[in-house]
Amino acid sequence: MMCSSDNSLKGKYVLITGCNRGIGKSILQHFAEKEANIIACVRTVSEDFELLCQNLKNSYAIEVHLFLVDLSDENSIKHFIGELYKSNLSVHILVNNAGVVTKGLLQMTTMKQLKDVFQINFFAQVQITQGVSKLMMRQKTGVIINMASIGGLDAFPAYTSYGCSKSALIYFTKTMSQELSPYHIRVNAVAPSLTDTAMSNQMGEEANAEIMRRTAIKSLVSVDDVAKLVLFLSSDDSSFINGQIIRVDGGM
Amino acid sequence: MTNKEKYNEAFCNAFEIKEEQLIGLKYQGIKLWDSVGHMTLVANLEDAFDIMMETDDIIDFSSYEKGMEILSSKYDVQF
Repeated sequence: MMCSSDNSLKGKYVLITGCNRGIGKSILQHFAEKEANIIACVRTVSEDFELLCQNLKNSYAIEVHLFLVDLSDENSIKHFIGELYKSNLSVHILVNNAGVVTKGLLQMTTMKQLKDVFQINFFAQVQITQGVSKLMMRQKTGVIINMASIGGLDAFPAYTSYGCSKSALIYFTKTMSQELSPYHIRVNAVAPSLTDTAMSNQMGEEANAEIMRRTAIKSLVSVDDVAKLVLFLSSDDSSFINGQIIRVDGGM
Repeated sequence: MTNKEKYNEAFCNAFEIKEEQLIGLKYQGIKLWDSVGHMTLVANLEDAFDIMMETDDIIDFSSYEKGMEILSSKYDVQF
């Protein structure tokens, strides 16, 4: 029997933040393959990314709308939400994917670093969700997926700023799932382990070795594995899954 | 439909009440105008007037009358 995720995403509008590389780019490609229309939010647009978007439009006969947003700037996000409203685009699925990774022992972490990480990994996601969920509330339907991390669930040395920001996002996922359920909006989070992206190098060899030591399947998470879970959580196949934080960690 | 009629309709639809009940209506003054109902009202108003309300204004929106004051002073909705 064909899985409903094969067609329930077709024609839907999915807003993805930080989708020009890494996990976000894979999510973008997977949604395009399912013939979902894309609202891509990125900080900068490279020629390669523009070409990718054009190819996806041509290959799958979908719409790709590009918005420039700087998640470190509250006013930039506010402007983006305003532009989104003016565009009259529907948003059926929001993937709060963008994030930054940092490491540093507590005594080596400045308050500014901590606030900067929280701005992008948490406050920006909250602000975007505030704006987009209002659109979804009007539609009386929607799916929100937050990109958490095992770093928000498990403790690792030097993960204070990153881990705390992801923990905040995890709690936010749970509260939003409660607040938005009357509007038939589901909110879930995906918590990948060390993923095969450029970001994985930024945590340093020591932290990476510790994660690998704790992992049953001794390899990095592939971006495809994460993207496929995001697709499942966005589809009608997961219609009763709400407020969950789902690990993609190879067994830890 | 006038702006006043649209405004009233947003309230009546959100809280399942009649127009006669609107004057003096306050946030949490009736069962359905709780925090969830408040968001439904905001969604209805944004839809009706094609606006996007600021979070501060959503918080300040404490009564039927206050809402009109906010919409006219900040969102150019004339009643």
